[in-house]
This record gives sequence, C-alpha cells and structure tokens, in this order.
Amino acid sequence: MDRNSKLDLVTDEQRLAYKLLAPTLIILLIVAIYPLSQVFYTSFTDRTFAGTNQTHFIGLNNYSKLLNFTIKELPPVIEQGTNQVKIDSKTGEKVYEPSFKVLPGSPKPYKELSQFNFLGKRYVVGATNPEFINSIITTLIFTLSAVSLETVLGLIIALLVNSNFTGRGLMRAVMLLPWAVITVVSARIWEWILAPSRVGLFNMFLEKIGIGNGQLAFLTADNWQLFSLIMVDVWKTTPFMALLILAGLQLIPGELYEAARVDGANKVRQFFSITFPLLKPALAVALIFRTLDSLRVFGLFQVLVGQRLYSLASYNYYQLVGNRAMGLASAVGVIIFMIIFVFAVIYMRLLGVDSE
Amino acid sequence: MKKTILLIMIFVFVVSLFATGVMAEEKTIIKVAIGGSAIPSAKKLAEMYNESHPGVDVQILEMPDSSTDSLNLYLQFFEAKSSEVDILVVDVVWPGIIADHLVDLNKYGAEEIVKDHFEANINNNTVEGRLVAMPWYTDAGLLFYRTDLLKKYGYNEPPKTWDELEGMAARIQKGERAERKEDFWGYVWQGNAYEGLTCNALEWIYSNGGGTIINNDKEITIYNPEAVAAVKQAAGWVGSISPESVTGLIEESSRHIWQSGNAAFMRNWPYAYQLGNAADSVIKGKFDLAPLPAGDSGFAAAALGGWQLAVSKYSKHKKIAADVVKFMTSYDAQKYRAIEESYNPTIKALYKDKEVLEVRPYYNRLYDVFMSAVARPTTVTSTKYNEVSALFFRAVHSVLTGKDSADNALGYLQLDLQSVTGFETSSPETK
Repeated sequence: MDRNSKLDLVTDEQRLAYKLLAPTLIILLIVAIYPLSQVFYTSFTDRTFAGTNQTHFIGLNNYSKLLNFTIKELPPVIEQGTNQVKIDSKTGEKVYEPSFKVLPGSPKPYKELSQFNFLGKRYVVGATNPEFINSIITTLIFTLSAVSLETVLGLIIALLVNSNFTGRGLMRAVMLLPWAVITVVSARIWEWILAPSRVGLFNMFLEKIGIGNGQLAFLTADNWQLFSLIMVDVWKTTPFMALLILAGLQLIPGELYEAARVDGANKVRQFFSITFPLLKPALAVALIFRTLDSLRVFGLFQVLVGQRLYSLASYNYYQLVGNRAMGLASAVGVIIFMIIFVFAVIYMRLLGVDSE
Repeated sequence: MKKTILLIMIFVFVVSLFATGVMAEEKTIIKVAIGGSAIPSAKKLAEMYNESHPGVDVQILEMPDSSTDSLNLYLQFFEAKSSEVDILVVDVVWPGIIADHLVDLNKYGAEEIVKDHFEANINNNTVEGRLVAMPWYTDAGLLFYRTDLLKKYGYNEPPKTWDELEGMAARIQKGERAERKEDFWGYVWQGNAYEGLTCNALEWIYSNGGGTIINNDKEITIYNPEAVAAVKQAAGWVGSISPESVTGLIEESSRHIWQSGNAAFMRNWPYAYQLGNAADSVIKGKFDLAPLPAGDSGFAAAALGGWQLAVSKYSKHKKIAADVVKFMTSYDAQKYRAIEESYNPTIKALYKDKEVLEVRPYYNRLYDVFMSAVARPTTVTSTKYNEVSALFFRAVHSVLTGKDSADNALGYLQLDLQSVTGFETSSPETK
C-alpha cells in the first residue's frame, strides 16, 4: 500500500466519523440548543405564561429589573429641638432615617437589602429586586457549605468503606439509601423529623438532652432555616459523593502502597503522596457534579420552606408559574445558566480537568 | 408463520382503531378536573348525571391537593390550549387570573339561576361582565373554640374582640401549661408565607378598619395606621399565645395541633368542623364555631373562600360541559354535598332547608358570616392578583418573623403595589 491511498483511508475514516456524529449533533440541536436559545430570546420579552395578551420585545429590561442595585449614604436623624444627632437611649447608638427615604422610589422602587458602616458613616444597599439578590446569596451559601461538608464526609466514608472488613458489600449498598430516595419524598420525611413541636424527632431528642424547649421551629425561624436545609442536603447527597470518591480509590493500584510501605512512609504520608494526588480527577468530577447540582437546587427548598426562603431555582419557578412572568423567569434562567457556567469554568481551570 | 402473526397483529390493530372510533361516537366524554377532598362527592355527582344522560360520560380527572399546584397544572393546559379538560374547579381568587381561558356561562343559560346564589360569589366570578364560573361551595374564615376549656376557666361565650381573644388565650394557656401540658397553645392560625396568610391578615386588617389592601375603585389602601396596628398586634401573638412555628403553619398543620387537643382557639375554614367531630378525634363534641373576633372598628371580618366550576374555552363540547356545570351546582347537588360532606352551599335557600339544618345546625348562626364575607382584591387586580398577594403575604410574614417593622413593611408594600398595578393610593373608607 503506498502513502497516498493510506491518506485516503484516513480522510475516509474521518468523513465516516463526521457522518456518524451528525445524528448526535442534530439531536443536540433539537433538544438542547433550540430550547436554550428560545429561553434567551424570551428573556428579552415581556411574555406572560398562559397569557392571551401580545408579547413585546423589551430589551434588557428584565435583567435590569432583577439586578439593579444602589448604595446610598443613610443620614442620621437630627432632633428638631437641639439640632443634635438622635441617640437611642437603650443601645446608645445613633438613630438613622428609615431607608425608604433615601432610596430612589421611581420608576421601580428600590428596597433595602442590607446596611453597613464604613468610615464612621452608615450606608444602605438597595435593590429593585432584593428577593432575587437574596436568592442568589442563599443559593451560594447553601452550595458552598453543603458541597464542602459533603466532600469531607464523603471522603472519610469512602476511605472507611474502601478498607477491608466483613460486610463491606452490604455496607456499600446500605450507604446509598438516602441518595436513592426521591428528593421530594425525603424532603417530606425531614419535614416531619424537623416538626416544630415534640412530635418532631429532633425537638424531642434535643429537649431530652436539655437543648431548647421542644418548640424549635427549624424550618420557619430565620437563623435555623438555611442550616436545616444544608443538613438535609448533606444527609442526602454525602452517599453519592462517597460513591464517586470510592470509585476513584479503587483505581489506585495496591502496589503503590506496598512500595511506599517498603520505603518507610507512614499512613499520613501515604495519603498525601499517593491517595490524594491520584484521587484528584475523581474528586474533581464529584465536586463539579455536586456543585452544579446544588446551584440549581429546587425540590428541597420548594417542599421544606416554600415561599419563605427562595433558592435561585425556586425563585425562578415562582416567577414563571406563580407570577406568570415568563420573560422575567427566562431572564432568571439565563442568569442561573451564567452562574453555573462560571463555576464550571473555574473548576476546570483549578483542577485541570480539561488537560489530557 | 411469522407472516401470519404479523397479519393477525395488523388485523387486531385496525379493528381496535375502528372500535375506539365507534365508541367515541357513542358517548361524549366530559372530563372534570378536581382535586383533594372534593373528589368522592364529585364522583357521585358525575354518576348521577351519567344516569340521567345516557349519551354523556362525565369522568373525574384527579388533580393535586394543593390549590397552587392545581393552578400550575391548569396554566400548563392553557399554555398548550389543550382540550384535555372540559370542566375545572376554580378557587375563589382565580377568576380574575384565568378568565381569558374560560367561557361566559351566561351565554349557556346561567343568567336565570345566578340570583339564587350569594351575591358576593357571583360578583367575584363575573369578570368584565362575563360569568366565567358557577359557585359550587363557599367558605369563610371562622373561629373554632373549645367549649370545655372556656367553661373550665369561667367564660360563658367566645371572645368578641381580638383583645378579648388575647386575654382568654393567654389565661387558658397559662392554666393548661401549669397542668403539665407543655405543648398547649392559646391560639393557632395560618402564618406561613402563602395565600392562607393573605386571608388571615386581611381579616385582622379589615376588622380593624384598615381596608382590603386595594379597594374596588382601584386605589391602594394598605398603608394606614389601622392596618399597621393590626399587623403589629398579630406579630405580638407569635411566641406568646401562638407557637413560634405559627409562621410556618397552614390549614392542615394548624388543624393537627387543634385536633390533638393542644389549642384553645383556632382560625380555620368550615371543613375542620366535620373532621374535628370524627369518631377518633380527641376534641369530639368539645368545641363550637363562632364568627372571628372584631377589631377596633367594632365589626368582625371573614375572608371569602370557596370553589367554583368553570368550562374551559378549549373544550370541544362546551354546551354539554356547561350543562354538567349547571347540574353540579344545582340545588339538589349542593344539598347532597352539604349533608354528606359539610361543604357550604352557595344557594341561599339551602340555609333554610330543614333537612340540611338537621345535620348542620350551625348554618343558622353563620349565615350572616357567609353573606358578608370580605373578598380578597382579586377582581380589580385580575391577572396581577398572584403577585399582589405574594407581595402582601411576604410583607406581613417579615413582620411576623421580626425581620421588619409593621410600619416599614407596609410602607414598602404600598410602593411595591404601586409599581406592580399602577394604581393610585388612598385611605380606606370606614364602614
């Protein structure tokens, strides 16, 4: 066979490869790219979900409605008689004007998001849509805490289950149980466990050991809500994390450890020099999976806290179906997409997933 | 061999296609979408209709229990212009939201029968002169109270004002707690951030002379001293006479606390009466119903609730569907449901029907409550109602949980409502 026909064969093969790829590309175009671009387009309109009125193109209006925010200085209250700054008699601190006096009121009113002190002055952060900004903050806190806890716990469990003991197979099967339960179902189960009276398992148990009065409102009190949600998510998805890490652990050849032992490396040294570096790809995959999943958490929030606390996805759902603002909801969807995209890129860079 | 099998299969396929075609011609199928506890009696009514109309087969399509979930499903049907559902149950707050997708029942002869029903319900269901739904049963917020406990602590009658309720609830709670009933609370209600809180808060505010959020002249009235005072008072109940977790309670969860004997008072809808008197209920025969307490205005208010039946614009058999609706909301049908399942009729004459009163003696006393129930501002806000209600209950919820002051929250709410609806502001008219 001469050189030329060999080349022909290569190009033929390539051509065949493209032909074989074509159906996949077409399907991808239909099921992914078309709906996605539809969402992008809708996010620039004022379309109503199940509405009969005309849809208009409104440019970036939806995005500015969602993301506008401003920072204004908050003046202290001046007492009329003395012209002095008013001081709260109880706390001894300055009293400031209510925030709606300084935040712009039209065309769409800004609402207070938070206040902070800087160089002796008080500032207020206002947003046209504090609910949405809050849902971003909530989702980020949820994702970061839940995923880091799950990774640490998952790693510990995977290392344990990877060691040799009788009943290891059974242990691995049982371990997966929380993850196998449908989110909505497990969320309902937790709703009962977290019930705000002694009917709930947690309240009964905590009261027995002297914490609380048996009436802790885990899912309604402000300082408990997010904490409870993170806990339920950790319970539910740690097994999944452990499973992915376990798969990575099993790929590490045992001879490496034998060699390390011969060289006199202790267990800790073995972990950091062999286990951890070789586990990195598996860990990276697991982290990406869980992070991107957590960023679009929906069922847990919808079932356990409903409209009391929004995640990005449950806020999106409310805007689409509850409020029927399909255009605005699409914009929320696009923003979720962007956030997830940014996270994915960061992960790929940091953990070197894309390099061969 | 293979060929024969294939031939037989093709034959069977063709025959079955033909057979379903013939059957469809024989009977008109009318699908009624209904959810929750109304399913059994709806099935019974469908059976009754089918018996007298051999050409029609009324079928029940089961919907989710939660009204919000049902609405979400309907909206998906409407978005797809689906003829899957012919008749749907409609919550009292929906006519304004989904009127565009429903037929005008006046065009199908409903005009002659509307005068028999409560005016408030008919007005609520009339959008721009079109009667989009027929009232099926009505609801109003009521005060449930424990007759045995009132007697025990020396009270002769249920509280007439919110202040009285506060005092009685606190005393009974203190007394019961002293008897080692640590889970006992004075008053339970619905404080979760959802439609139910809109009803509860509307009752406090309206009875205190604070208006109805938005009045019938399309003016926003929510930011006024009476409304602020009412919300402030309710926020004071959280953690004192009501559990901390009241800000997460809905109808059913509050009923569970009440029905396990752990509350002296409860605000709820009439459906809880039948369940509280069930054979296995701890409080069977130990409670009664009263109108909700009055505020500073001197009168009590009950939020108007209830369900209607409507015909979808995308139905293929609108005329028959409208006839089924007329049957299911008729005198006989409502009487059957009142007696069997304690659903409150919307036909006025049924409150004087002897057979009904025999089973439901409290109808006599509560007729006025149903007659004068206060409607949520659904009709004036039409498609915007859901957002208006969500803004309202979230504002009130932030006060209940102590995140915001009543003054601030309602002040901001007024601005929000202005930008959502474009209405002017005004002060509430005094009654």
